Amino acid sequence: MNGLSTQGPSEARWRDKADIVALLGAFCFFLSAVEYMVPKPLPFMRLGIANLPILLAIDLLPLPWFLLLAVVKVVGMSVVSGSLFSYIALFSLSGTMVAAMVMWGSRKLLGHQVSAIGVSILGAMTSNAAQILLASVLVFGEAARLIAPPFLAMGLLTGAVLGVFAERFSRTSIWFARASGSHDA
Amino acid sequence: MPEANASASPREKAARRRGERRERYEALFPPWALAASGLIVSLAFLFQPLLVTRAVMFLLFVLAAYFSGKRIALSSTLLVGIGIVLANLLVPIGRVIARVGPFRITETALMEGIGKAITFEGLLYASKACILPSLRLPGRFGSIVAAAFVYYDRIIEYKGSVRPGSFIADADKLMLRVWEEPATVRRIEAPARYPGAAYFLLAALSAAALAPALLAQLHA
Repeated sequence: MNGLSTQGPSEARWRDKADIVALLGAFCFFLSAVEYMVPKPLPFMRLGIANLPILLAIDLLPLPWFLLLAVVKVVGMSVVSGSLFSYIALFSLSGTMVAAMVMWGSRKLLGHQVSAIGVSILGAMTSNAAQILLASVLVFGEAARLIAPPFLAMGLLTGAVLGVFAERFSRTSIWFARASGSHDA
Repeated sequence: MPEANASASPREKAARRRGERRERYEALFPPWALAASGLIVSLAFLFQPLLVTRAVMFLLFVLAAYFSGKRIALSSTLLVGIGIVLANLLVPIGRVIARVGPFRITETALMEGIGKAITFEGLLYASKACILPSLRLPGRFGSIVAAAFVYYDRIIEYKGSVRPGSFIADADKLMLRVWEEPATVRRIEAPARYPGAAYFLLAALSAAALAPALLAQLHA
């Protein structure tokens, strides 16, 4: 881990997974702050743009580092918002981890037969499903099944939008090209 | 600047007062001790069987979050709380205590809904009061989170360069800039000194939060 001490970019730095996790984690915090500024019609409704760096990381990081990024995102955002000991953090952790594993699995199993849009939709749907399941146990009871259809539909929509962004970013980004080029080095 | 103060909008004045409260609060409590105390208090709250005690604790958490300088959105709290209670009322459980058209309000569902709403919001306010942004997590994981915050600070410096119309290109430039910029040497800050009484206060609050749950267990 040399993110704090490196004095300039180097090839070795692109191989420093901890540094890449830190940078992508920081972008998760930044996008989360951007999302906070976007007006929401309902308190629970979120676009999920903070998941964009996680989506990009599928092709950049090995599984343990990829999962670590997901945890850094949840813990860091919970510290910033002060919700670390609340149900909100628990919902976020369950949704993010389940989605991360499903997205990783789908990419590794299907390779590039599944696009970033498909991976993103799978992630958003499973994240929302995990959160509905948890909400049924902790908060809403059986009534959670009533919020499930609109919540899952929202996941489909936001997942697709996020996937389009990820697809375009991974195609055009110089940073992503350099980071992924060094991945196998 | 008195002139600037006079021209400030009510929202700006409120934000300034909140900032002052936050400074006072953060100077009083060490982040790790506050987080540890918050964890104990949150667990005590979660396992508190009496709804009345939980409601009192909830109000104290709101008060603590207010003094911590965190934003308090009572309308949002109320909206989410009502949503949780209504969702629980959709499945009737227990004695019918009222009817609104075809809708039956049942006692057990109502009490469960209120309990869940108080727990949901109470944990959030307790967490807001006990987790300071300056909290540093231990170990290698903590160092990665800390490095992420260093990058985050740099991103915030250039955030104006990301425009909605060219989001992808701007975000890429920003990532390259933040990544390639020579790392600034982190300031070595002298460990902050906190009043000794703060530790006793946090220990006393943790014990006080645990007491009702322990007493309830003894009487059970």
